[in-house]
Amino acid sequence: MALFPGCLVLQRMPQYEKAAKRVLRELYISAASIAHAACCGAPLESFTDKWLYLAAYNLSLAERMGFPVLTICGNCTNTLLRAEVALRDPSLRLVVNERLDEIGLHFEGGTRVIHLVQVLSEQLEGMRDKVRVELSLKVALTHPCQAFRPHEVLGFDDPLQPQAMRSIVELTGAEVVPYDAEYDCCGSTLYLVNEQLGLEAGQRKLSSAAGADVLVDACGNCQLLLERFQGLMNEGRAESKMPVLTLPQLVGLAMGIDPAELGVGPVMAGKLLGSSP
Amino acid sequence: MTVGGLDSLLEDCTQCGLCREVCIVERLGAHSITSFLLGEDNYSSWLCSSCWRCQEVCPQGVDIHAIMVEKRREEDPPVAHEANLRRVLESGYALPIGKGINELRAIHGLDAVQLVPEKWVEILLRAQAGQELGG
Repeated sequence: MALFPGCLVLQRMPQYEKAAKRVLRELYISAASIAHAACCGAPLESFTDKWLYLAAYNLSLAERMGFPVLTICGNCTNTLLRAEVALRDPSLRLVVNERLDEIGLHFEGGTRVIHLVQVLSEQLEGMRDKVRVELSLKVALTHPCQAFRPHEVLGFDDPLQPQAMRSIVELTGAEVVPYDAEYDCCGSTLYLVNEQLGLEAGQRKLSSAAGADVLVDACGNCQLLLERFQGLMNEGRAESKMPVLTLPQLVGLAMGIDPAELGVGPVMAGKLLGSSP
Repeated sequence: MTVGGLDSLLEDCTQCGLCREVCIVERLGAHSITSFLLGEDNYSSWLCSSCWRCQEVCPQGVDIHAIMVEKRREEDPPVAHEANLRRVLESGYALPIGKGINELRAIHGLDAVQLVPEKWVEILLRAQAGQELGG
């Protein structure tokens, strides 16, 4: 597969990309970087239809490699797939290809764009065989909104109460604990417009999930707000900090992979694996 | 890109209010595009968490995302969105990603990435006469 990390993961979360690649390797799935990949186009859409040039550009790079696109961020998944659908219109495709032609690329269409949650949910048997450490943890899940909605484009799982992450995490031996705000948005995108509102949304989720040992996400935006910005919530009270991991980090720990190879620090790893055999 | 613009997008909306009921922005006490759909003026099209829940629950299949995009193109953008836009137009990335990225990746044992050439960004996103995607 062709891994598309997206700007946020590329710039700030090499740990997430690293864990995703490592876990996929364990499942014999290759995840090659896409040479010259750019922004998916999402930040342009609110201003201009030129976002489609950028999305088509990225899709055409993957097309040239002959691989489906593997995404690990909800926003990129959603944007690339909506572009793929929009560009089924032959007249739009023509306009886009005139531009791509100038740099020696061509968009044909039909490339699959698949979020990591979906990829892993299609590998449940393989994952079961790879679990080496039964995790004695209570896990709260936060689902990447944009990897499930709109359902008519994403076409995967229950769009309002997705279950794929649950079936993946349950393989690790961990107990998935439901909580009121489980299916609510983390608020990360809101933070861009109104920091206070974004943090409030995140805080609501974290408070609601307080009974869990760890919160698990599968999107750069969720990880940014719920983990990196957690110190800005709750008046920065460190003792109430909720550990937040990305899905492949948790799965990787259950596979017995060295935490360092998953971008999980020794303190966090000790805390999470401490009670496991 | 929408055919017929805002009016045709709004045609099927019955103002049932389901979209606003599921909106996280509204639950936090602020007002999103869902308030606009219910005929109110006190809202911002930029106040959105991009969760797509409103559109998913709409019984009429209204393309609320497209409506929001149309309204955003009329309204002044927040500073952070404008900064992201500028960076994408200049560098092809929404965040400051430069050549140093590969040093960071090496520390984490990740392969070096090749960034999009600036020349290509210019070609892809420049304005030109004739048929093109505008906005």
